[in-house]
Parts: sequence; C-alpha cells; structure tokens
Amino acid sequence: MATRTILVVDDEPQIRRVVRNAVADGETRVIEAETGAEAVDLAAAARPDLIVLDLGLPDMAGAEVCRTVRSWSGAPILVLSARHSDAEKALLLDQGADDYVTKPFSTVEFQARVRALLRRAAQVGAGERETRIVAGDLEIDLLAHAVTIGGAEVHLTPIEWQLLRTLATNPGRTLTHRQLFAAAWPGRAFGDAQHYLRVHMTHLRRKIEPEPARPRHVVTELGVGYRFVP
Amino acid sequence: MSGRGRALRDLALWLLALAAVTAAILPFRARLDKAHVAMVLLLVTLGASAAAGRAVGMAVACVSFLAFNWFFLPPYHTFAVADPLDWLVLVTFLVTSAVAAQLLHLARQQERLAAHAEALREADRLKDALLASVSHDLRTPLTTIKARANELRVYGDEGAEVIEQEADRLNRMVADLLDLSLLNEGALRVAPELNAVDELVELAVQRVEGALGGRPLRVRLAPDGGLLFGCFDLAHSVRIVVNLAENAHKYAPAGTPVEIAAGRRGPWVEVIVADQGPGLAPGDEERAFEPFRRAAGAPPDVGGSGLGLAIARRLAEAQGGRLEYRPRPGGGSVFALSLPALDATADGFPPSVTTS
Repeated sequence: MATRTILVVDDEPQIRRVVRNAVADGETRVIEAETGAEAVDLAAAARPDLIVLDLGLPDMAGAEVCRTVRSWSGAPILVLSARHSDAEKALLLDQGADDYVTKPFSTVEFQARVRALLRRAAQVGAGERETRIVAGDLEIDLLAHAVTIGGAEVHLTPIEWQLLRTLATNPGRTLTHRQLFAAAWPGRAFGDAQHYLRVHMTHLRRKIEPEPARPRHVVTELGVGYRFVP
Repeated sequence: MSGRGRALRDLALWLLALAAVTAAILPFRARLDKAHVAMVLLLVTLGASAAAGRAVGMAVACVSFLAFNWFFLPPYHTFAVADPLDWLVLVTFLVTSAVAAQLLHLARQQERLAAHAEALREADRLKDALLASVSHDLRTPLTTIKARANELRVYGDEGAEVIEQEADRLNRMVADLLDLSLLNEGALRVAPELNAVDELVELAVQRVEGALGGRPLRVRLAPDGGLLFGCFDLAHSVRIVVNLAENAHKYAPAGTPVEIAAGRRGPWVEVIVADQGPGLAPGDEERAFEPFRRAAGAPPDVGGSGLGLAIARRLAEAQGGRLEYRPRPGGGSVFALSLPALDATADGFPPSVTTS
C-alpha cells in the first residue's frame, strides 16, 4: 500500500504532536510546517494527500494559505480553528478548505474527518460518479430525480431536490450557505439568502428525517452550513 | 496649584499684561485711531482666551471694555461717552472679544473630544485583541489535555474520561466568562435573524446528549404543519438551551428524563427545558438568575461555574426574548426561553426580516 503523506501546519508544537499522534500509522507519513510560508513550500515539494491547517499562524492568514495552495493543488484541506468565528469558517470553506475542526477537538472526531476527506479524495481521483446514493433507508436516484425512504416515495419541490442532490453528492463535507444557495438559486445574488435557504432546508428535512431533532441524513453545522451524512 | 488658584493667577497675569499694554499706548492717545486701540486691546483679550481659557478671557474682555472707555474714549477718565457712535464701537469690541473667546473654547473642546475618542478606540482595540488572544491561548493547552485524555480512554483507561469531560467543562467556562465580560460591557455581538426552531433544538440536543450519561432525553418539536421560525441568534440560543439542559441534568434525580419541547405562544416561539427535580423554592425564582448563585439545597459537588442562568437570561434578553421559570405540573422545573416568532412561507421568499 502506497504511503500517504499528511502535512500539518501549526505554530504550536503540542498541537502538531497531537495531530501526528492522531493520524500517523504504518501507511501514513506526517510532515510538519510552522509557518504559512513553510506550508506553501512543503505543499509544493511533498505534494501531500491532506493538509491540516491551523488558522492562528504568525506570518500568513489561513485564508491566504488556503487560496495559494488551492490554486495549484486539489489536496483536501482540514482547518483547525481556536476562535468560534463562524463567519471565518464559512469564508475558509468558500476559499477552498474542505472541512474544519474547532479546538479543543476530540481525537476520535478528528480522525473521522481525516478519514472522510481522504476517502472522498480517493473516490474523486478514481473518477467514480454515482447515479444512486444510499444512506440508511434513504435512497436518492440521481437520474430519475426520485427520493425514497424505506421504499416509500418522498415528493420534493425543485429547490428541495437541488439542495438534497448537492449535499448528497458531497457526502461528509460541510457545504456553506453560500455554496448551497448558489446550487439552488444559480445566478442570484446571495444577499439575505440564509433566510430563504433555512426555510427550504427546514421543509426538506421534515420530509426526509424521521426525527428532525436528531437528524440522520442532513446535519446542521452551526454558523457555517449543512453536511450530508453518508 | 488648584484649578481655581491657577485661573486666578492667570487672570492676574493677563490683567497685568492689559495694564502694561494700556500704559504703553496711553502717551500716543491723541494720535491713535479708536480702531488701533480696539485692535491692540482685542489682541490682549485673544491672548488671554487662548492661553488661560474662556473664563479668564471673558474677564479680561470686560476689563478691556472698561479700560477702552475710561482711557481712550472722550471724555477721558470717565465712563461717560461723548460721541454716541462710540457706544457702537464699545459694544462691537465686547461682542467680538466674547465671540472669539467662545470660538477658542469650542475648538479646544473639540480637540479634547477627538483625543478622548481616539483613546477609547485604542482601548477597545486592545481589549478585543486581549480577549481573542486569551481565548486562543487557553484553548491550546485544553486541546492537548483533551486529546491526550481521549487517547488514554480509547486505550482502555476509564479514569481518563473524567479528565476529558473536565477539559470540556473548562472550555465552556472560558467561553462563559468571556461572554459575561462582553455582555457587561454591552459589547457582545448578537445578530438575530430568521432561524428555524428545528435547528435550534437539533444543535442543542447534539451538544447535550453525550453529557447526560444515559439519562433519557425527550424531545418534542411542534407537530408537522407547525414549522416554527423565529428572529433570533442561533449560536446564542443554542448556548442558552444547552445551559438549561445541563442544569436540568444536574438537579434531576437519576433515571428521570429531561425534556426539551418547542411550541408557539402568541408572538413568541417558546423552547422549554423541563426536569423532574426539586424545582425552585417559591422565594428563589428570581434569585436563581443572579450570577454565581447556586440553589440553597444543591449538593456541594454539583459541577459548573454558577454563571449558567445569569448568562442565559442576559443572552435571551439581548435577542429581544425572555427566559422565565415556572414550576412543572407534577413536580420539577420548567425553564422557558421565549424568542420573537416569524411567519415564513416556503413558496418563494419569506417576508423580509428586519434585523436591529
């Protein structure tokens, strides 16, 4: 099995150690960077399969590192943030980051996020395109535009369909309000979009979730967007 | 030297200056025009205003006015004035002095205000930077502690679970303390907007479920057809409901459920958290919402910082809502969070939301 490379960028050595302990195994090699500039250089030289990027870097804003790396690399970027600035997180996701984790984080959750990102990257790399998505008793037929739960058909409005389709074709990935709005209302200015989005998302989830308070399929990421659980 | 003492000293100095100037031009009285005299005396008055303030300037203006009349307007050495037009000159002189003194005073005040505003802005910037860095700095050791404890637990050390939970508790306390200080300064950013009550309940349940240690959590959302929307700040409201649920968990006897329910009550959406604990004693109902307050009969090892209800109420009010207690029928507590309701339709776009 080929060795995977994960690049960790954080100016605090303890955090780098925590991440290294969480992801290093027989098949994974971890390389470290302390500054944004170092990160960009290492990303270019080592071509990592995943980048874990801390936002509190001394020399460059996290968004800038994201943008720079994203311009020539498709490697998934997982952002670590200490401050609960949801606007900042949404911005990072819009700038090319794939997911984020807030410090302090649980190692188990962190490992799950890393695995999901690597798996998705591998799928994309293999050029797989699904026509049917199954998650629990939810089945989505992308060709027939049909959704069934436990075999029973669920009727969705065109906008609800667009939202579900966008989320389900990016399983495990947090999509920002902006990204979802662009998918459901292409060409419209974002403006007060969150409001419209929330109303439609609420209706959609009431249709597909047996227990809306404990959603199985679409989870809310506070202040950032929504995520489809595969 | 006190302010008053200094003003008197300045007044004496400037009157002396006035006397000196008057004495200097007195010999040339016959050849000087009234305008010349007026200009010279005005200069002295302006000097007094600029150097010693408005009060001294006005005083010097009055004395100049008298000196002008006495020494330079015929008949000399009397306060009588021969030419009626001279009254015009005198009055104009006084008014000009007064206006100039006032203008100088205003200009100085503006300068002081601008400097003060700049100082305030600087203090604000420092405070924001401090809060941000404290928040960041405290979270790094917490991350390490939590991660290591998590690893220990995964490798079979059951005792490490407590370490991880306490790290989480510390994290919440840090957030609470920061928020309380921001609330006290009126500086906490609260951004109410259209939000779904479903999401509020979902996020609260997500954050609380793991901490209940097996205690049943009953959740009731408004039945279908009654989708609830309100104008509130989602993040803050989630914190409130989580606070209430954690409290309920602390005070409810083992095995009894904690209940979260949402419904509509007139112009409000109401999210309640109920428990079957002892409830609040009749006199305690308002005092429970004060900071650092703990119920009289609470066991001493009940965790938490005592900030919960105080912060929760302030956060509710900051969003235009309310947080109230009522006894649970059948025993226990009901804490009700009320937030302004909004009616939103799914077809097309909902009515525009005004955010304050």
